[in-house]
Amino acid sequence: MLEIKNLKAVVENKEILKGLTLSIKPGEIHAIMGPNGSGKSTLSNILSGKKGYEISGEIQFENSNLLDLEIEERAHKGIFLAFQYPIEIPGVNTNNFLKTSLNSIRKARGQKELDAIEFLKLIKEKATQLNFDQKILSRQLNVGFSGGEKKKNEILQMSILDPKLAILDETDSGLDIDALKIVSEGVNKLKNGKNSFLIITHYQRLLNYIKPDYVHVLKDGKIIRTGNFDLAIELEKKGYQSL
Amino acid sequence: MLTNLESNFEELIKKQNIQNFDIRKKLLKKFIKEGFPDKNTEDWKFSDFNKIINLKFPNLNINFGLDKKKLLIKNQILNNFEHNKIILANGELIEIDLSFENKDEVQIAQFDKRNDFQINKNTLLDLNEALSLKYLDIKISNNYKFKKPLVIYHLRNESLNSKIINLNINFTLGENSSLCLVNNFNDDNESNFINLKYNFELSKDSNLKNYLVDGQNNNNARYLFININQKNNSNSENFIFSKGSNFFKTEIFSNLYGEYSSSFINGIIYLENEKHHEIKTNINHLSANTKSYQLIKNVLKDKSRGIYQGKIFVDQIAQKTDGYQLSKTLLLDKSTEFNGKPELEIYADDVKCSHGSTSGNLDEEAIYYLMSRGISYDQSKKLLIDGFLLEVLNKITDENIKKYLTNLIN
Repeated sequence: MLEIKNLKAVVENKEILKGLTLSIKPGEIHAIMGPNGSGKSTLSNILSGKKGYEISGEIQFENSNLLDLEIEERAHKGIFLAFQYPIEIPGVNTNNFLKTSLNSIRKARGQKELDAIEFLKLIKEKATQLNFDQKILSRQLNVGFSGGEKKKNEILQMSILDPKLAILDETDSGLDIDALKIVSEGVNKLKNGKNSFLIITHYQRLLNYIKPDYVHVLKDGKIIRTGNFDLAIELEKKGYQSL
Repeated sequence: MLTNLESNFEELIKKQNIQNFDIRKKLLKKFIKEGFPDKNTEDWKFSDFNKIINLKFPNLNINFGLDKKKLLIKNQILNNFEHNKIILANGELIEIDLSFENKDEVQIAQFDKRNDFQINKNTLLDLNEALSLKYLDIKISNNYKFKKPLVIYHLRNESLNSKIINLNINFTLGENSSLCLVNNFNDDNESNFINLKYNFELSKDSNLKNYLVDGQNNNNARYLFININQKNNSNSENFIFSKGSNFFKTEIFSNLYGEYSSSFINGIIYLENEKHHEIKTNINHLSANTKSYQLIKNVLKDKSRGIYQGKIFVDQIAQKTDGYQLSKTLLLDKSTEFNGKPELEIYADDVKCSHGSTSGNLDEEAIYYLMSRGISYDQSKKLLIDGFLLEVLNKITDENIKKYLTNLIN
């Protein structure tokens, strides 16, 4: 599904990614762990199409050259990034945003756009699943949301947009145990054996709830080790310095 | 051009029976001598009107009357909400329809003679008084509250070009009365200068909602002067939607003579295509316990220019004044310009007054976030602009008008 080969990224003359190679197959869950400044967020930004990087290397997503696609085209193809810091957008109603987003993607995929009633039904179903208070959705996007509400809102978007590859960028940071459970249950419910997940995190904690097939360690712009869940446990005990 | 005006005026006199001839001629001569205001006039320092007129409207002359045959009224009438109508064309009264009101409580009259002419500091008012041949006078009885909005349609002859069009309306709101007024400026003609003067007398406990809608793209220059005199406990709510005209300056004087009177001025300047619009406000707190609030939002692109000059004056007897003004501007590209000049002049010591101004461009991070959810660049921008304007649209207290304007923007 996703093939990254020798990916290098430079921002403001500083090389952040220094030849990263990663392959994700349909249905797999991959976790990337690593210390601060290792390039984890840069990787998720580049996958979602954020501007401002000088990039070399290759990224194939299904049958497309991902680097040729605009930000919104990547979303149309099925890439979803759950942001580490979801941005507050005053004046934009959350429900209206969700509907615009969903229908933009449906339209690009040649599917029928949902009308207001169909959309509300879907939203209600997904919000209930995630134990997400629907009242929040009539507020302005992320404005005045607590840290947990922002992250839950990301997971709600993910479950509505039903991506092929979901990238979770430190979704666990700033979450209490209850919110962490809700977020991971959201991810687990979404798993269908065909879609894939790339989970970026500092801690093993989230991986107790979402069991990864592979754990990679990103350090200084490269993947230096790959293993299974045991690697995450080892890292939690010994820290990144030991590597 | 200005010297032509005088001979033009002589011609007009021959054709029509004009009242107050001497004073009109005097005012016109004064205008011709002093000319259109330019950047050396402090109030016009950001809008050199003389230059704009010479550049874009070089052949202006006096309008000689209305050819009613060329009026297309029907498709101009709003069907968004129920309302009363006054239809004006080229500044002349065409139709009054007060179907939703008790006609005994509302008096609308048209005069061609008056005895309260004055010499003005503002030369455009001189021009208006010299050339407004008829005056509309609208009086609302004590305790009468309009049931539906009153929409004034400002229409023009389709073929009208390079004319000076003047309009002068006086409103008197009786005690404890209320009026929701919508001014709909619809022009599909070109290169005219439309010079409007409104005066409002708000008796005690009266309530005015005054919505100004310049929504349709047109190539005219417009100056709108509004004076509002407010007695005790009266309230005025003004909303300016400044978008369609080539040039538009709205100037509001709000004189809070009565205790507990309040004035709200909110607005949007939304421009593209080299348009130049200004909102200038003068709030005079002349009595204790008065309140004013102003919020202006500007969205500028493609070489357009927006200006907001907001002045709050607090007289020494106007203790406990509460005055606030804020402007926020989105500059969508580097070719645009916004000028803001907030002014506070305060002579009382127990007051609460503040002002603020911000400007910037769209938040790139927000655009990235929206696009990452499959929304195109253009639509993301639109969502953000609509979101930016929502705060000020929410200040509109009439739900029908809020809906109408929100739809107009979207």
